[in-house]
Amino acid sequence: MTASTRAKPWNPYIAGALAGLLLVLSVWITGKYFGASTTFVRAAGMVEQTVAAERVAAMPYFKKEAPKVDWQWMFVVGIVLGSCAASVASGTFRVQAVPDRFAARFGPGTGKRFGVAFLGGAVAMFGARLADG
Amino acid sequence: MELIFGLITGVLFGILLQRSEVIRYDRQLGALLLQDMTIVKFMLTTILVGMVGVYLLVDLGLAKLAVKPLILGGTVLGGLIFGAGWGLLGYCPGTSGGALGEGRLDALAGIAGMLVGAGLFAEAYPLLKTTVLTWGDYGKLTLPQLMGQHRWVLIPWFCVLGYAFLRWLHKRGL
Repeated sequence: MTASTRAKPWNPYIAGALAGLLLVLSVWITGKYFGASTTFVRAAGMVEQTVAAERVAAMPYFKKEAPKVDWQWMFVVGIVLGSCAASVASGTFRVQAVPDRFAARFGPGTGKRFGVAFLGGAVAMFGARLADG
Repeated sequence: MELIFGLITGVLFGILLQRSEVIRYDRQLGALLLQDMTIVKFMLTTILVGMVGVYLLVDLGLAKLAVKPLILGGTVLGGLIFGAGWGLLGYCPGTSGGALGEGRLDALAGIAGMLVGAGLFAEAYPLLKTTVLTWGDYGKLTLPQLMGQHRWVLIPWFCVLGYAFLRWLHKRGL
């Protein structure tokens, strides 16, 4: 009983309104708007730099979005940590490789889920950057 | 200092995302299948509160808008491609980090894929910049500019329409 009451999700309107206030405070204090996808460009550049530093330095897109840690990079790291802390504190942290809905439709295979997730991630990020999102 | 603010803001945002369950694969797929509108409720409320608050700050001279250019080629094609990938992955770039934080290992595969996608985009950028990203370029444009109305005329309307839409979702049990 305790577990189910502790795991009850927050009202999405209240959580969404608080996220809106957080955004307004962020814009006020640091002038930063929320985003995440640019961070994946910077991180990809950082990974590529380890094998081909000169090539990365010459690429126009990595000149535009330099491979370095910035406000948004730390924002994304914060999301991981905040989610981890909140899930552990509320008893909803759960190590799971295949989401329930995916398993119900496509079976419990980890390899299939990871393959689809990897492909989906690559396609989604390419689209996000093309749309400048 | 800026990095610390980024981290703190991310932690608070991550708590809100996790406790309202909007980072779950099942919820994101539920939204794409128009069966569970939890993330739409969260996002629309965030947008409405953010719209009012940010424009107040702008009018008080305390903040600047960060308007991105409207390039139809990039936005329409990129949106379609993003949607296809989102449907496969079931997390968006920000929520994949949140999903990893609450123990969802498939988010790691998604993050690896996103790094590859970002790298591929960087390779394709010089070509895209002279083609797709020149199609339908209207420059930096806001809805008040586009509609020729003062922002404080439009903002109450957006709030009313947003509220009506959320009530409609609520009545339909979504």
